[in-house]
Amino acid sequence: MFRRKRSAEDFAEEIKMHLELEADELRSEGLSEDAARRNARREFGNVQAAQERFYLKDRWVGLDRLFRDIRFALRSLWQSPGFAATAILTLALGIGANTAVFSVMNAVLLRSLPVADPGRLVYLRTSNPPRNTGTIDSNQTFSYPVYDALRRQNRGLSPVMAYVPLSGSKVAVRYEASPEEAEGDMVSGTFFSGLGVSLIRGHGFSEDDETNHAPIAVISYNYWTRRFARNPDVLGKTLYVNGVAITIVGVAAEGFEGVEGGGSTDFWIPMQSRPELNAWGNPLDDGKTYITNSTWWCLRLIGRLAPGVTRTQAVAQLQPIFQRAAYIGLGAPMQGEKPPILSVVDAKNFPGDDMRYGNPLRILMAMVGLVLLIAMTNVVMLLTARNAARQREFSVRQALGAGRGELLRQLLAESLILVSAGGALAWGFAEMATRLLASWAKIESSLAPDRTVLLFTLGVLLFAAVLFGLAPLRTALAGGAELALKTSAATSNTNAGKSRTGRIIVAIQMALCVVLLVGGALLIRTLRNLENTPLGMQVDGLVVFGVKPNITSIPEGTAFYVRLMQQLRALPGVESVTVMEERLGSGWSDNSDMKVDGKLPDVANGSSRTVRSNVAGPEFFHTLGVPMLAGRDFVDSDTAASPHVGIINEQFAKRFFPNQNPLGHRIGPDNMDWEMTIVGIAKDHKYRSIDEEPIPMAWYMYAQIPMTGAMQVEMRVHGEPLAILPSARKALQQINPNLPLIQPMTQRAQYDTTISGQILFARLAGFFGFLAVVLVATGLYGSLSYRVNMRTAEIGVRMAVGARRSQVVWMILRDSLVLTIVGVVIGVPLAMLVGHALASSLYGVKPLDAASYLLSVLGVAMVALVASALPAGRAASIDPMRALRTE
Amino acid sequence: MATQENNDDRIALLQGTLDLLILKTLVLGPCHGQGVARLIQRQSEEVFLVDHGSLYVALQRLEDRKWISAKWGVSENNRKARFYSLTAKGREQLVQKMGEWQRLTRAMGLILEPGNGLQPEEA
Repeated sequence: MFRRKRSAEDFAEEIKMHLELEADELRSEGLSEDAARRNARREFGNVQAAQERFYLKDRWVGLDRLFRDIRFALRSLWQSPGFAATAILTLALGIGANTAVFSVMNAVLLRSLPVADPGRLVYLRTSNPPRNTGTIDSNQTFSYPVYDALRRQNRGLSPVMAYVPLSGSKVAVRYEASPEEAEGDMVSGTFFSGLGVSLIRGHGFSEDDETNHAPIAVISYNYWTRRFARNPDVLGKTLYVNGVAITIVGVAAEGFEGVEGGGSTDFWIPMQSRPELNAWGNPLDDGKTYITNSTWWCLRLIGRLAPGVTRTQAVAQLQPIFQRAAYIGLGAPMQGEKPPILSVVDAKNFPGDDMRYGNPLRILMAMVGLVLLIAMTNVVMLLTARNAARQREFSVRQALGAGRGELLRQLLAESLILVSAGGALAWGFAEMATRLLASWAKIESSLAPDRTVLLFTLGVLLFAAVLFGLAPLRTALAGGAELALKTSAATSNTNAGKSRTGRIIVAIQMALCVVLLVGGALLIRTLRNLENTPLGMQVDGLVVFGVKPNITSIPEGTAFYVRLMQQLRALPGVESVTVMEERLGSGWSDNSDMKVDGKLPDVANGSSRTVRSNVAGPEFFHTLGVPMLAGRDFVDSDTAASPHVGIINEQFAKRFFPNQNPLGHRIGPDNMDWEMTIVGIAKDHKYRSIDEEPIPMAWYMYAQIPMTGAMQVEMRVHGEPLAILPSARKALQQINPNLPLIQPMTQRAQYDTTISGQILFARLAGFFGFLAVVLVATGLYGSLSYRVNMRTAEIGVRMAVGARRSQVVWMILRDSLVLTIVGVVIGVPLAMLVGHALASSLYGVKPLDAASYLLSVLGVAMVALVASALPAGRAASIDPMRALRTE
Repeated sequence: MATQENNDDRIALLQGTLDLLILKTLVLGPCHGQGVARLIQRQSEEVFLVDHGSLYVALQRLEDRKWISAKWGVSENNRKARFYSLTAKGREQLVQKMGEWQRLTRAMGLILEPGNGLQPEEA
């Protein structure tokens, strides 16, 4: 298209030959060699002009000009590398931060499940479970009979699919000789077909697979990559899940990571009915699996709206079926009992993500938005300053005949270069940042920027490019051609130095900076409070891991743990070892009512009867470093044969034994004829998470209650806690070579997981606050030193007529002080609004925390002072004579 | 600049007439640019001043319109030169342009010839 029919060289050749032909002719007319050449040339006129006309003819002039503009802009930027680098870096930081946060938001809140037609998928919810049922989540989980009834209808939702994890965390999976842990779900036979997830290899499940509890598995693309290095021969291989042989029959499409919020499922198997593969990894309850136990509401349900059916219609269709099925196996509802009500919600995203990450993400998005605003105004100020300094250049070019259009094109070209370079860097930043974020936040689903994010970023970039092109145009044209005729560099710039727009922008930046600093400070103080919260135990030196032996007999189970503890205690460097059913700091707890001395206790003025309980091993409190206020710890000699003993905490004693000595009283679970005698009272400590308030607690001795299955092993060791793990693993595998250590970590790290969201949030907010300060500082420094430069002549005159240095310094400082005060006056009320919005994310800090506000205001003032001090110092050291001579 | 002597009875070509002159010149047979310039100058009895830059641009324009075609050849005095020749399309254009020109000159003549009653008014 742009190829010319004829090259410029060919044309030049033709002209050269013309000149020679002409000279020949003139010679033949009798002129001398020399005169002939000269005349031929003169006759022709301007050879260069002819060539240029030829060059311009029929060229796609626009493109040509664009290249020329870009070349020109590059040269001009190259001449001020400091300016270009600052502008590009500022943009990259601002846009990069936005792209990163937006891509997290996009992945977590906006992106749909990677399934066919996600708009027709719904999660099922219930208003409440019926009485006497246990749940995983009182609104989101259902019993097997409910699922069974719902899936048999096909008028409202078709199909209804159930999914339930094989463990609260990860499940032991052995492949060939190496045991490890993975996340696995049991799902309906219609799971893959109903969701519309394709399989890149093998096949999914059928309804027969569900009925027959077929021992087959589909693995995720990630797991296939991680564990099998994308081996195409993976189909037909055997996984041992909790020791049960399962054959891999399929690999799910890339990007499908299951429907469990926040996590990523590694494999799926059809619903099973074996005790080893009970839902949530729970031991059998009275010999019943989740299928036969109708009091355990543990399945999550997702459904696809039947064709042509609206949500309201679907719910109406299903409601009676649901309410009938809810009481299967429970007997008739009690008089006046509120029946559970079914509802459905959008299944576009992962469930719970919005609750968990929604608010912090929206606040972060707002913060990075402010950062971007600051960054953009910075660049605008830089550009304005730079172009104001180039006013003479523009005037000269206008005087030489450049049109406004041409100047605009040049400014746009410069802006385009800055924005493209900044954008490319920003994309790199964002890629890196999302990877870091995903690993910090332990979000395993992919956060990487996708096409939506790309569009978002391109939109921001386009806006920036136009803004940066147009903003300086006014200044550039303001001079007009006649400015070139004015002689004084200094006088021609005085106006620019006092630009009111510049002052307004600086004040707004200060205000935004105050807002970001207050937000960051509040969250960082929250973080400090959380980190410094006393846990009520000596948490350092503790290491914890899970063990899940496949044992069904109670004495065998007890013997297993007795032996394990013996072996672990014998390891060098180990101070003490104990076991517990629920891991401390895992966010889980077992809550129920408890009988005291044979009956449900009376509690004063309506406080709760709920007691949190756990099953613990010998030396439990000693190992944790929780002091006993009275009585004793569990000991090895507490066995199934000895009297049953229990331990309570301070809260329990205060609430249920006011003004009595609890020791010797009997307590027991509400629904069982089983009692234990209180032998000890432990001091209150943090149990489930760091930011909880203590509630009454009771501990059972593990050897005395009918339980087998998984336990958490807690070890107190000398030195680095994690260093004990290899020898602990060896000790465990001496007993059973199939068993891995499940989620081994220090107890401190385990507690930290309960505030990891807050930690991340606070760190990010702090970082963005810091980023804002840096940007405001550079912007302020840039614009102030520019203003001082513009006023060099004025300052010189002032000093020549007797102004003292201190007066000059004060003049400059006063200027930025006024701007700071204006910024603070605007910023503080805004910050109060932000603090209010943050209230739910704060811990131990009030939204109006005076210290945070004071520090932020001081911080902004410091930045203003430092950024003005340098230019002020320079102004004061101006030699009046030199300044005047620049005229 | 002072060396440029202006031959006063030469006149610059009217806009748009150069194309016509080139086409007319080429009726005689293929010719190179310098030859075309000389011919125009000579045949107009040295009245027309041909700007060579414009000439070559015009040649290129006509070539692009496929009214003339060009190829490199050797001149009578053994110099390499680009020879232009008239195409069929060019011939058609020549006839048409000549007709236009004759109509134009006739109309101009009617107005400019005395006795038509159109005299410049006194200021």
